Amino acid sequence: MSGATIEALELKSQMDDPLRACVHCGLCLEVCPTYKLTGEEGNSPRGRLHLWRSIDEKRLPEDDDTDFYTSECVGCLACESVCPANVPYAHLLEKERLRQYERGRSKTDWKVRLAGRAVKQPSLFNLALTPARLLRRSNLLPHPMLFPGKPPVMESSAAYAKRLMAQKQPDGPTVALLTGCLMEALFREINFATIRVLIENNVRVLIPDSQGCCGAFHEHTGMPGTDKLFENNRTAFRGINVDRVVTNSAGCGLALSKALQNKPKVQDIFGFLGELGPKQRPRQEGTQKVYVDLPCHLVHGQKVEGIPPNVLNATGYDWELAPCAKDCCGSGGVYNIQKPENAREILKRKSDFLNHLPSGVQPILATANHVCMMQWHTARAFIKSPFQVKHIIQLLDPAL
Amino acid sequence: MVSPTPSYKSTLQRAMSRGQLLTRPAQLVPYEADGLGYKRYPVELVAIPADVEELQSLLKVLKETNAPFVIRGAGTSLSGGPVAAQGGIIIHLSKLRKIEEINPRDRFALVQSGVVLNELEAALEPHGLYYPPDPSSGLSCTLGGNVATNAGGIHCFRYGVTGNYILGLEAILLDGSIVQFGGPAGGRGDWREDWKRLFVGSEGTLGVFTRFWLRLIARPEKVWTFRAMYPDINSASEAIRQLARHPSYPAAIEFMDPRSIDMVENSPMSVGLPRNAYMILTEIDGPPELVDARVGPIAQLLRNCGSDDVSYSDQANQRQALWKARKAQGGLLGQVSPDFVVQDAVIPKSRLNEILNFIYEKADAAGIAVTTIMHAGDGNLHPDFLFDQNKPGELEKVEQIGKELMKKVSEIGGTLSGEHGIGNDKAAYMASHLGPLGQAIQMAIPRPFNTRSQLNPMKVFPERRYA
Repeated sequence: MSGATIEALELKSQMDDPLRACVHCGLCLEVCPTYKLTGEEGNSPRGRLHLWRSIDEKRLPEDDDTDFYTSECVGCLACESVCPANVPYAHLLEKERLRQYERGRSKTDWKVRLAGRAVKQPSLFNLALTPARLLRRSNLLPHPMLFPGKPPVMESSAAYAKRLMAQKQPDGPTVALLTGCLMEALFREINFATIRVLIENNVRVLIPDSQGCCGAFHEHTGMPGTDKLFENNRTAFRGINVDRVVTNSAGCGLALSKALQNKPKVQDIFGFLGELGPKQRPRQEGTQKVYVDLPCHLVHGQKVEGIPPNVLNATGYDWELAPCAKDCCGSGGVYNIQKPENAREILKRKSDFLNHLPSGVQPILATANHVCMMQWHTARAFIKSPFQVKHIIQLLDPAL
Repeated sequence: MVSPTPSYKSTLQRAMSRGQLLTRPAQLVPYEADGLGYKRYPVELVAIPADVEELQSLLKVLKETNAPFVIRGAGTSLSGGPVAAQGGIIIHLSKLRKIEEINPRDRFALVQSGVVLNELEAALEPHGLYYPPDPSSGLSCTLGGNVATNAGGIHCFRYGVTGNYILGLEAILLDGSIVQFGGPAGGRGDWREDWKRLFVGSEGTLGVFTRFWLRLIARPEKVWTFRAMYPDINSASEAIRQLARHPSYPAAIEFMDPRSIDMVENSPMSVGLPRNAYMILTEIDGPPELVDARVGPIAQLLRNCGSDDVSYSDQANQRQALWKARKAQGGLLGQVSPDFVVQDAVIPKSRLNEILNFIYEKADAAGIAVTTIMHAGDGNLHPDFLFDQNKPGELEKVEQIGKELMKKVSEIGGTLSGEHGIGNDKAAYMASHLGPLGQAIQMAIPRPFNTRSQLNPMKVFPERRYA
């Protein structure tokens, strides 16, 4: 490693051992929701990397405490956005959680494990949740995380896309849409809105039948099986000729982009619409105002700057970014189920601005991930005045 | 080595009811290093007091524990400062993060010592107020650490370092008593001497900081950033010399050597800079009509010194692009090398060429890669020596080069640290740098406050052990 220049080769070789890439600078501490919550170094990205490296170097035994710190991470990946050394934190976290799971050290509870198995069979999962869609549609499914909505009960998104395509006959670019597991099974109205917006913008929408779970659920929890799920989606999406694969859930989009590796290119629906220049909805006069929250897996995971302003302007609403829009809401996939107290406290701090809005403003909290929407809906417990939670695509929906 | 009294954990437990005491291995291991990651020191206990009151009650019982203790903010220091060099206890001030007052009328802020620098910056912005010290760890570093090391940053050529902005400070002494030096109006406060000046840069050896009154100034209205590339060190040095004495009084003058540029250009952070070139970055700021008029003369100065590659902008995104290579440099060290040491010497600016050649010569002879950047306006040089502690002999070589470099720096009238502090990393060079009289005086100063060196032992002077 001597001489006047530092060769590119060495850059690669260091990345072969990413656990040692952390320079211990600590710039990640203040963007980490669990460090800010607890003030503990072990509960920061630098602390966790140090623990994992210490275990790897046999300086520290694995025990309940090391498991605890690994499990405490929300997985928001804000640390990746500020890391000057480009430590692949997400990759290391997933590897560590998988290792824990395989060694029987994971504390993931049976309900989450069951859900992880269920989503591997999307058609069965959809069928099993038919009553839940029906109840949610009739507003008879009270649960703190279930935001209101009217999901179509029987018609699938794929069938709907075919029907609407035949009716409207768009002839613009062609996209494949990832319909997702929970999104299709419980929040199908968001998929329907997505299809309507795309077709209204003259986009041809294909929904490959053979697509399956993106694998994000398993990455979050450390459950095995992502390789198989990735492979399944590679087969499903590479078998068709499309300009883009679009996703309407930032977390699923990240997992799918890892699976497909740009063949074809995966893009968040709003990035795609931003390039097209979406149709303008009528101006919404009145006191409603949209506060846009940016999902972590969009800005820190997919490394997208945000939601394009032309898309947000096209909603017709007055909008602004929510304060700390790039900070985590505490959802973290299933983090709010596994660590409800942390998730609640993270959201409580982030959502506090809703308690201090000018009087008369009717807030709509809009985001781009259904799991974040579920988390935001729970803020009703500590936000004094009413607010709605919406997917941004719903604000562009011509059926509005 | 002093052994803590057997019951020291329960003593501390008694003093803390709201905060946390960390005692188990996985809780403690993350505290064994600061930003100088390769130097690790086991710690026996970490206390995170919930507030200033709890910190005070903790300090009142610490004498009974018979254990050395160290105060830590965010642990971003690069000199082995907030680590348990002699074992014992770390007190982590991560909960003391309240900005208690921002007073635009009298232009001061009252902040607790665990407040994060960028958080203060964000709170000041809406008021049009500015706190200039800007170490590159601003995203996480705390005001307490900044005051302890008298931190600087890229804009300190014009604006000065942390010490220039401390109107007053409050600290807890080892007997648990709270003292205040200076205050919102600055000056000495009730004291005959200006003690706050003594406490700034004391690296946690005199007392435990709790609050600071910070002097604030008006935020600069407009900033222009310039980047110039030079084919040789002489022309780059000439640009530094001329910028430093230019009447526009630049806010920043930064230097990057060709090896740093190579590292950036070989990486995914490449910005298309020419190879074998030296980079100068400079910034001017102030009222628009004033700085706009100075843009032409500064660009001309940079060209006259021998650069045919000068870029400049007043647009935020373009300014960011001009800074990109410089900002990427520190993090990239971690991508090219498992371990590294950053030196922090201050040299007379005219000796840059000589020192740079000295560094290259020593590092090349030892087979150690080195990249160098410099806060050139202040002569604050940061050579980064890259090594792998798992390769036998590499660390020793780096330490040997460090020793020879510091000796050379002393010989030409330089100092060991510009902004990182001495910590324990540079403590080994103190004896030869200060000489016996200097060392005796400096070691005597903390004694009335820290008689047995229970607070932060083995820092600044390795001989200062708790016994």
